[in-house]
Amino acid sequence: MSRYMPEGWNLPEIDDLNRQFFTSGKLLVQQCTECGTVQHLPEDVCHDCHAMTFDWVEASGNGTIYSYVIVHHPVHDMLRERVPYGVILVQLDDYPSIRIVGNLVDVDPSEIAIGKPVSVSFEEVEGADGEMVTIPQWVAA
Amino acid sequence: MRGTSAIVGIGESTYYKPGGATETEFQLTIIAIKRALEDAGLSMKDVDGLVGYAEDRNEPNRLSAALGNERTRYAALAWGGGGNGAAAPVALADMAITAGYADCVVAFRGLAQGQFGRFGRAQLVQRVPGERAYRAPYGHASAPMSYGIQAQRFMYEHGVTYDALAEISLASYAHAQHNPRAIAYGRPLTREDYFNSRWIADPFRLFDCCRESDGAAAVVLTSAERARDLPNPPVYVRAAAQGMERRANAGGSDGSGYNDPDFPTAHYRTVAEDLWRRAGYGPGDVQVAQFYENFTGMVVMAICEMGFVEPDEVESWLKAGNIRWPDGALPINTSGGNLAEAYIHGMSLVNEGARQIRGESTCQVDDVNLSLVVAGPGAIPASTVLLSKDP
Ligand SMILES: [Zn+2]
Repeated sequence: MSRYMPEGWNLPEIDDLNRQFFTSGKLLVQQCTECGTVQHLPEDVCHDCHAMTFDWVEASGNGTIYSYVIVHHPVHDMLRERVPYGVILVQLDDYPSIRIVGNLVDVDPSEIAIGKPVSVSFEEVEGADGEMVTIPQWVAA
Repeated sequence: MRGTSAIVGIGESTYYKPGGATETEFQLTIIAIKRALEDAGLSMKDVDGLVGYAEDRNEPNRLSAALGNERTRYAALAWGGGGNGAAAPVALADMAITAGYADCVVAFRGLAQGQFGRFGRAQLVQRVPGERAYRAPYGHASAPMSYGIQAQRFMYEHGVTYDALAEISLASYAHAQHNPRAIAYGRPLTREDYFNSRWIADPFRLFDCCRESDGAAAVVLTSAERARDLPNPPVYVRAAAQGMERRANAGGSDGSGYNDPDFPTAHYRTVAEDLWRRAGYGPGDVQVAQFYENFTGMVVMAICEMGFVEPDEVESWLKAGNIRWPDGALPINTSGGNLAEAYIHGMSLVNEGARQIRGESTCQVDDVNLSLVVAGPGAIPASTVLLSKDP
């Protein structure tokens, strides 16, 4: 899938915490090996029991729009051609304590509404530095 | 808590549009501090403490040297990168004075966005590190987005419409028409202007968003005992609170906490509880309040969380004129606030809160005993201070 944001726009800097989320091509959430808590953003420590070892579990990729904003003012020159665009907050159906930021890439921003079902889709993008990332995005379900 | 310390001096630089200041940020800060001391009938020789917030660039090291501060006993910065901390330096000063670590403390904020860049612009850095890595790639790269997502959900849950947001903005602009310090002085805003203004990030239009400004503001605090010998009526620090609920930052985004179990929240529920308990007063006892407007929607949320009205009733409460000077039950942002006076990261709201106790506001509320200041809602740690005329 081609990128929703303009080519050359900001990409995540990959680190040990976010590598699975941004490079696996799957929707992965961090789960504590001790108490089973799932949490997002990934952290060094479990927010519930303070253990420091985690597994990555794959979510179904189905969710609903929990909230959103429609961006009209471009905060950078590169976004002038992109506005208006929606930024959505997706609550995962199978892990409802988790909400993830993204774009709804296949419909006009005017169709964004709270409660609308969405499913995950990935953008494969190569950075100027040659490093590949897979960015979780959303399409209407 | 009792008023063991008091604000005894108020000062500010001229407030400018970003890039409008002829002075540097450091010079603006010095001007605000000197005016606050002059107002207090004190000199830099009397000052032994300097406190700030929001990662202020004007560090006490440079300030104390430039101001000729004889002996510094206390220097502190409240955690947090934004206007959420605006009430916290008053609390730090109060604690230092009450506990005997310092006798006379200046709380300040200097902010020249013309010199150092504006908050509302994103940078292209190719690779975004840390917490921002989860939103910047999606074009989620400025504060109206973080708080727009919060406000949108709040509006959905409580049947709040753009009319409520408009009322916050219109009140601030109306109040600024009485305040010659205000950048919007002489530039009234009509309801039609508001609704015709361009979208920044729906639910926020242009006039829902705070300004960006060049300027500085400062207050001087000393012990209640010493305050009674100084020229101004003491503005007692009746109570203050700072903090956040459990997992407030979960999910990140400038403290919006998208995975906070309490989302959407302005993060004032626990802080309000602490404030009212410490003060021995409740929201119904307050005559006037300053609510930091980063965005109007966040003010609506903060008004509810501070206990003034239930979320489901807030829209009709606002439409009834409750926040308007002079007739409302709780006039807010009586200087014009961050929307219409200037955006000094909320420090100017502390000055206005103190003016209301002294009887010197340009929208002076009658018989003020309790004056509330609520700092940047939605960012954390949240802070608030209740000022009083009676000790
Ligand atoms: Zn755990």
